[in-house]
Amino acid sequence: MSESEDILLELEAVTIKFGGVVALDDVSMTIKKGEILGLIGPNGAGKTTCFNVITGVYAATSGTISLDGKSLAKRKRYQITKLGIARTFQNIRLFPSMSALDNVLVGADVHSKVGLLRALFRTPYFRRVEPENKRRAVELLELVGVGAQPDEISVNLSYGDQRRLEIARALATNPKLICLDEPAAGFNPAEKLRLMDLIRQIRDLGFTVLVVEHDMKLVMGVCDRIVVLEFGRKIAEGTPSEIQKNPAVIAAYLGTEEADDDAA
Amino acid sequence: MRAIKASQLLVVGVASALVLSACAAPADTTEGGSGSTESFSIAYQGPLTGADAKYGEYAKAGIEIALADYAAAYPDGPTVTAIYSDSQGDPAQAPALAADLINNADVLGVVGPAFSGETEATEPAYSEAGLVTVSPSATRVSLSEQGWSTFFRVVANDGAQAPAAAKLLTDVVGAKTVFVIDDASAYGVGLGDGIKDALGDKVIGSDSVEKGSTTDFSATVTKVTASGAEAVYYAGYATDAGLIQKQLTAAGFEGTYASGDGSLESTFIETAGEASEGAYLTAAAGAAGDDFVAKWDALTVSDKGSIGVYSTEAYDAAWVILSGIGEGNTTREDVLAWVAGYDAEGITKHIKFADNGEIDGAGGVYYYLVKDGDFEAPVAID
Amino acid sequence: MEFLIGNFAELTITGLVLGSVYALVALGYTLVYGVLQLINFAHSEVFMWGTYAVVWVLTLLGASGTSSLAGAAGYLAIALVAAVLMSGGVALIVERFAYRRLVRQNAPKYIILISAIGASFVLSEIMGLRDKIAGFLGLQGVLGDYVNNPRNTSTLPVEIKPEPVLQIGNYMVRDTELLIIISALIMMFVLDQFIRRTSFGRQIRAVAQDPEAASLMGANSTNVVRLTFLIGGVMAGVAATLYMIKVGATGFNVGFVLGVKAFTAAVLGGIGNLRGALLGGLILGIAENYASGILGSEWRDVTAFVLLVLVLLVRPSGLLGESLGRARA
Ligand SMILES: Nc1ncnc2c1ncn2[C@@H]1O[C@H](COP(=O)(O)OP(=O)(O)O)[C@@H](O)[C@H]1O
Ligand SMILES: [Mg+2]
Repeated sequence: MSESEDILLELEAVTIKFGGVVALDDVSMTIKKGEILGLIGPNGAGKTTCFNVITGVYAATSGTISLDGKSLAKRKRYQITKLGIARTFQNIRLFPSMSALDNVLVGADVHSKVGLLRALFRTPYFRRVEPENKRRAVELLELVGVGAQPDEISVNLSYGDQRRLEIARALATNPKLICLDEPAAGFNPAEKLRLMDLIRQIRDLGFTVLVVEHDMKLVMGVCDRIVVLEFGRKIAEGTPSEIQKNPAVIAAYLGTEEADDDAA
Repeated sequence: MRAIKASQLLVVGVASALVLSACAAPADTTEGGSGSTESFSIAYQGPLTGADAKYGEYAKAGIEIALADYAAAYPDGPTVTAIYSDSQGDPAQAPALAADLINNADVLGVVGPAFSGETEATEPAYSEAGLVTVSPSATRVSLSEQGWSTFFRVVANDGAQAPAAAKLLTDVVGAKTVFVIDDASAYGVGLGDGIKDALGDKVIGSDSVEKGSTTDFSATVTKVTASGAEAVYYAGYATDAGLIQKQLTAAGFEGTYASGDGSLESTFIETAGEASEGAYLTAAAGAAGDDFVAKWDALTVSDKGSIGVYSTEAYDAAWVILSGIGEGNTTREDVLAWVAGYDAEGITKHIKFADNGEIDGAGGVYYYLVKDGDFEAPVAID
Repeated sequence: MEFLIGNFAELTITGLVLGSVYALVALGYTLVYGVLQLINFAHSEVFMWGTYAVVWVLTLLGASGTSSLAGAAGYLAIALVAAVLMSGGVALIVERFAYRRLVRQNAPKYIILISAIGASFVLSEIMGLRDKIAGFLGLQGVLGDYVNNPRNTSTLPVEIKPEPVLQIGNYMVRDTELLIIISALIMMFVLDQFIRRTSFGRQIRAVAQDPEAASLMGANSTNVVRLTFLIGGVMAGVAATLYMIKVGATGFNVGFVLGVKAFTAAVLGGIGNLRGALLGGLILGIAENYASGILGSEWRDVTAFVLLVLVLLVRPSGLLGESLGRARA
């Protein structure tokens, strides 16, 4: 098996500028199928921007991004989602007045080709797909641990449940790659432990995971490989033990935060 | 243009003998020389489109016949054409159109304005410019009380229509109680108030609906049915008049429905549908005679309007101005003086104006009954 | 006041009838606002075109004379289909030409607003100048009756005679009134279920609440917006049919007044909120009737807007608030 067949997502020399700010500067990296890749770096390093350019929120100023060898340039956000990339948000972006189940179902709708006519006339296809989506959505809610309250309006859920619900919603689009932006932000140690289990479980279900996280214990404990950004540039890449020893990484984090601290 | 005129001349020359003699020029005819190279215009200001477009169409018939008669009567006079200026009967749109007419030096006189509201909005400007206006159909009483030197009308005002309409309701219809509705327009309020005054304590209730602001009159309908009125008079225009009658009938009103000259056109019957059967419409305007109809039939211009209420008044108004031009009055000042001093038989009545522009000694007021989906021949009220 | 009490049932029911039409048209405003946070000023014309579809299709079918409501049921069913197709189609045209490019390019709201106002004028004047347009196309001969006198009132070729069917208080409710109120309630119920229970409704709600997150969850927002306009148009088509049954006459400029009232109803109930549109429409229809009854009919518009201002002073987001749109920041 050649190496290129293993590669799911590839960024090549991606640069993105906002006026004078260079948020990503000539970043190249790859994510292999089935791995959990950590993306770390101090605040403002460009991690969220990296998610945004992968998911089509921003267009890269230069450079290319491809999923399974298909370029993502010129594709709309919903098309990129259809192609197999899903994400969560650093600041929770659920549909606030929809139920937990409906939030997940919005994700599930991606692949069911329910056109207006099908919905209006309740064709057999529609009648088959709708319960199937619902069953899967309930499963996903259970997987992330929100299964007890499927009909609760999402704003009324606890903070932790809202974060986990976002993961379920992203998984519902049945992505090849799921990108988690600081999924443990605001979690207590017990919750973090359960989240680590969840991330591994997700990988074991066949999804590839890209995770941005400040909590070093979590990152080191769950990731197969780690990429480090600083001021928009990639300064290191390697296994957790390699990264821990990397002098550039130590320098980048020195003074900004303790390795175990999670300054948000 | 020339070709059309020639053919008009031929046909009309024969058919119009009677009216020609009736409108004979005043005694001291001074031949205006050969002004045939000159050309002037008369203008019409009124609704050619919109809910009240029928009035413009009716006026057009009268004006076109008058033009044909003019060409026959004054073969050597200046060429006169008509400019039709579409105000939609709307006081808000009329001033800009009036300004255009005032700025057009060819225009020596205006047939119109058609409605009372637009007259209020434009007459000050006409008066200032000295451009004479002769309205065939603006009937609000107060129009002649403003001191406008250019205001004339060949129709009796609502001061005549209102008492006659009241008389129709009490004597002909025999109603003991009447509900009066107006449309809050200059015309509607004036006519409605006049009828209320004339009816006195027979008025059992009244309401005012804003013209064009709704198509649902259920509250008004409830008031009428709750009042137990035997008759309803609506002072307003045709579309609303039709909608109100239709909704009254649908709500079970079985009394008599009447309205004024503002509703005397086919839109009223079309809008009210079957409910319009038996409705009475009042107007200070009689029917067009057979001669008039024959002349209209003989017209060969492509758009000659159609005959309806105030067609004959429009003819008279146009003729007052046209005969002045034919007699050699070719400035606005001269035409204004000509109209003010006019004294001759018209086709609707003898035409002579009082100082305030009212017709001296008005003709009668008539009612038109709706039967089998059409207006029956007018009957004089008295 | 005595009059209001003595005729309470009649004023209430006829107010509900008018309010039902307001409510159905208000839905179009509220749906588009919910999804785009924009007022679709051309929606009144979507309704107006629907009323013409009713007139035209009945003329085409050769309907004439007078008929009871039941007797005209066949004609009316066909007219309903025609009005729904016409209004739905016009709504899609508005979306395509007045909105899509501007929304996609994130144009400032006031620009899109102006574009919608322009579309409203264009649609109304196309109707008002249809004889000339047919003339340009050389179709005046073929279209004849359908395009002649375009600025005059057009009446329904078959006249529907309402019949009393049900006594409520001291008022005999007419069959047409009953039909209008019930149809409006049914349409509202169906729409409410559609938005709440189907995957399309879910997508509309998702785009309304967070368009960016929705697109990242795979919602094609262009499709969702198009669907929203279509549903608004369909509701306007139903409203147009009911309106023609009741009023029986239309004109190229009927949209304006009704549109202003329906928009008021939408704001009154809480713009962006479907149930608010229903509530706002019904309340407005009744309030106008009561005010006309107590103060005189010339006060109906004043009352409508005083009511609106009072409600907004107490509840700035309307009676039921915005639920389709962002319930919170
Ligand atoms: N839309 C934007 N406009 C301007 N600057 C932006 C935008 N998004 C991100 N940035 C800038 O890009 C840099 C990287 O931000 P971000 O990717 O959010 O960092 P991180 O997620 O690593 O904390 C910051 O300097 C930020 O201010
Ligand atoms: Mg970030």
